[in-house]
Amino acid sequence: MGNVRISRLRGFAASVLGFFGRRERDSDFDEEVRAHLQLLVDRFVAQGMSREDATAAARRQFGNTTLLQEDRRELRTLVSVEDLGRDLRYALRSLARSRAFAAVAIATLGLGIGASTAIFSVIDNVLLEPFPYKDSARMVFLRIHDTARADQEEGRQAYTSNEFLEFANQNHVFDAVMATAEDPVLYKHGEGVELLYGVDVTPGTFEFFGMPALYGRVLEPADYQPGAPPVFVMRHKVWVERFNGDPGVLNQIFVLNGTARTLVGIMPPRFGWFDADVYIPEKPVRGVATGFAGLPAQWFMLWRLKPGVSNVQAAVDATVITNQLAKINPQDYPAHFQVLVKHVGDTVIGRFESTLYTILAAVGLLLLIGCGNVANLMLARAASREKEFALRAVLGAGRTRLVRLLLVESLVLAIGGAALGSLIAWGGLKLIVAAMPQDVIPAESVIELNPPVMAFTVVVSILTALIFGLAPALQATRRDLTDPLRDSAKGVIGGFRTGRMRDAVVVMEVAVSLTLLIGAGLLMRSFVAMREFHLGLQPDHVFQTQLPLPEDRYKTAAQVRGFFQPLLARVKALPGVVDATESTSLPPYGFQNSKIEISGKAHQDEWHTLVQQVSEGYFRVLRIPFKVGRGFSEAEINDARKLAVVNETFVSTYLRGEDPIGRRVKLAQLETVADPVREPWFEIVGVVADVTNQGLQAPIEPEVWVPYTVTGSGAQVLMVRSQQAPMALMNDVRQAVWATDGGVAPAFPGPLEDRISQRLYAGPRFAFLLMIIFGCLGLILVTVGVYSVLAYATARKTHEIGIRMALGAERADVLSQVIRAGLRLVTAGIAIGLFVSLLLGRAIEAQLWRGVKPYDPATLLGTTLLLMGTGALACWIPARRAARVDPMVALRYE
Amino acid sequence: MTDAKKSEVLQGTLDLMILKTLHALGPQHGFGLARRIEQVSRDVLQLNEGTVYTSLLRLLQQGWIAAQWGTSENNRKAKFYSITARGEKQLAVETENWERISGVMGRVLRLEEER
Repeated sequence: MGNVRISRLRGFAASVLGFFGRRERDSDFDEEVRAHLQLLVDRFVAQGMSREDATAAARRQFGNTTLLQEDRRELRTLVSVEDLGRDLRYALRSLARSRAFAAVAIATLGLGIGASTAIFSVIDNVLLEPFPYKDSARMVFLRIHDTARADQEEGRQAYTSNEFLEFANQNHVFDAVMATAEDPVLYKHGEGVELLYGVDVTPGTFEFFGMPALYGRVLEPADYQPGAPPVFVMRHKVWVERFNGDPGVLNQIFVLNGTARTLVGIMPPRFGWFDADVYIPEKPVRGVATGFAGLPAQWFMLWRLKPGVSNVQAAVDATVITNQLAKINPQDYPAHFQVLVKHVGDTVIGRFESTLYTILAAVGLLLLIGCGNVANLMLARAASREKEFALRAVLGAGRTRLVRLLLVESLVLAIGGAALGSLIAWGGLKLIVAAMPQDVIPAESVIELNPPVMAFTVVVSILTALIFGLAPALQATRRDLTDPLRDSAKGVIGGFRTGRMRDAVVVMEVAVSLTLLIGAGLLMRSFVAMREFHLGLQPDHVFQTQLPLPEDRYKTAAQVRGFFQPLLARVKALPGVVDATESTSLPPYGFQNSKIEISGKAHQDEWHTLVQQVSEGYFRVLRIPFKVGRGFSEAEINDARKLAVVNETFVSTYLRGEDPIGRRVKLAQLETVADPVREPWFEIVGVVADVTNQGLQAPIEPEVWVPYTVTGSGAQVLMVRSQQAPMALMNDVRQAVWATDGGVAPAFPGPLEDRISQRLYAGPRFAFLLMIIFGCLGLILVTVGVYSVLAYATARKTHEIGIRMALGAERADVLSQVIRAGLRLVTAGIAIGLFVSLLLGRAIEAQLWRGVKPYDPATLLGTTLLLMGTGALACWIPARRAARVDPMVALRYE
Repeated sequence: MTDAKKSEVLQGTLDLMILKTLHALGPQHGFGLARRIEQVSRDVLQLNEGTVYTSLLRLLQQGWIAAQWGTSENNRKAKFYSITARGEKQLAVETENWERISGVMGRVLRLEEER
């Protein structure tokens, strides 16, 4: 064995060396051969032959000198650059001759490579590796899931300072923690105020994330000491957008919410925890419970699991602690709950994850169709060149030579495809990023082209091209040389085996394409149904803005009313304004959830409702109709009367069959806010029609509206109904706000319709748009696939068709025969595709709008017809060509 | 022609024949080797004389033979090939191999005939 290896090595070394001494050796060899031939000739002459006969006999005895020369070269050189160059030139020439083939093959490969690279890149950056933090795989958060409300994925994720400290002291499963609390920051500068999205972060936060500052420093333990100078850290994005990336702002003092704080650090671009603008040190203190907007402090806790601890183990440990806490503060916990331990990625991705995976599956199918097409094209091309290769082999081309020729051709195609694919991936990724909905991916994730993914898809596609380029070549070169040359009856015997393979590939392609189309169709129907779904309010012509009030000056109900009463009067007086209202949140989401009691109703289980604090214009601005009773009057609002308006779901849930008007409802939550409402019993004066209040998919919850003047706590939102385009009000409203209080900044202003659309429809629209694009690409590829196979088969049968027509077959017969042959494949593919789609229905069901079923008959029928139609078109073109065959020409052709 | 009775040279056996010839007769040029093989095989083998040169190159690459320019009997310039020490060793190995295989083949074929 060793000997063999050494001798191989020696041969290899000789090959390498031989490449250099090439010219000289060739001339040596020529001389040797000439001498040999001369000696042979001399010998034959001596035996009595004429000189000509002797020369011929010598040649015969010596053999083919050219072939010999080639054998020697193959022996002597590793890869003959000269031959490679010749093969390359030949490949380019022959591809240029069949330009359509080359274009289709390259485009197909390019689309496959490009689309899958782009999507894989998104998935990798968004789902697999979104967080740049140390040990992000072990970062989890806790969610208190109310088991009585099994339909909801939601649950409490925020905790009080007390709870935070209890968890930190008692757990056995976490080795680090940081907590975040929202803290919107009004930042005062020379010209006015601006809103920054600030968060309070606990000691150890930056050690937890393990990221150093880009400039300056991160928050340190000393910053949390009592009496330490107030400091904060800024996110890179805000620094660039608001401060033009000026390093001079470092160590300057900013007045944030009335406190002068020094900017000590700017974080690197990928640090984007909580999507916040600024990070402020804050230590959770036992017993101190007031946080943002006068609500109890809400700490979002992020834990790092100890190495080797599973989510389940952590949940068990956390449950022990929560059970104790629930005993002490039963009002903060549902009667029956479960502690869920979730990975940090679940904070933001949620439903979008399944969208991305659906798209990934679609792209996989597209790649499959693409590879199928390339395989088919290669097979058809190879089969049509059987004769050419047989002729080459007969003329003395070695098998390696032929295989290498095909290899080079396939490589040229594959490289072209890869180049186009890179372009498509690059452009596609830009499009995807632009179309991607906001707020559904982690702020930290940077979507960029992923080189390993790119390499992977390129390799897959190149392999496809090579394998399918070579398989028929090997077959063609192995068979009897004279057989294809004799085989003039095209389509009768020739290419039978590869024909079966091509048919199978087409059937597979059609099936996969139908699956893709059905998916796209279902998402489209789902999207249309979603858009038609009525939210219960009219968001058009409504301008909205959030108005976070400086907390130091707006603590009590009287203070808040002192701002909104004149502001609403000013805004209503603006030209074009129909009505205006204050509110605590923007539709289609409710604000706070409260436990309730209703007078005269005894119940064991807990009753809940959403609570909104509004002014009298609310129902008119949103055009929410009253079913029973009335809304609030301006006087009632200003007097802070304890009145309530409820929705129909509230009545049907808690007061079914009773008259709700005059009933009193206690909203327990209002007792716990910073500016508490004493005896929060409210008398119901009206019932409004249901409005979506938990987002699109979730069922409508009971909801109660009360005058905003009952408490100074709660978020503030302004909504204005206008006669013209809502954004035209922008400047006037801002002036009105500043005229009322120069220290208040409108935040995130815009048309309500846009906001709803962005929140609700962007995700589904993204999924459906991409699916439609992929569905169309798949359809195009399949059409090309069906066409190329049929066109090829028909071309091979020209002779046969000629005979049939000469024997009296009508054009229509020929036409229908070819179309039938094609449609047989399409139908088989459709049958398989329908079957597969029904099997896969469950996978896509979660993506669909309620009411749209995965076996939606209209979608199935529509897509089937569409595919059938394009399939028929793909058959018709070669069929028409076949029917035009002139029998005389076809018969004389051979 | 007596093509029907002539056999193609078995792949790989030509190398062995050339090594053996060089071992037995000393340095030879290509033409001489072709003549010698023709003579020894008594026209049983049909030899494409060109393939001798392919074989020679293969042997050269393995270092089993060496080549040197010289003058032939009739005063022509010719390349002379001679067996090297490593070639001798290889010849011994290959010869033993060949004898073993041909012995086995012979026995197998006889078995077939006796049945």
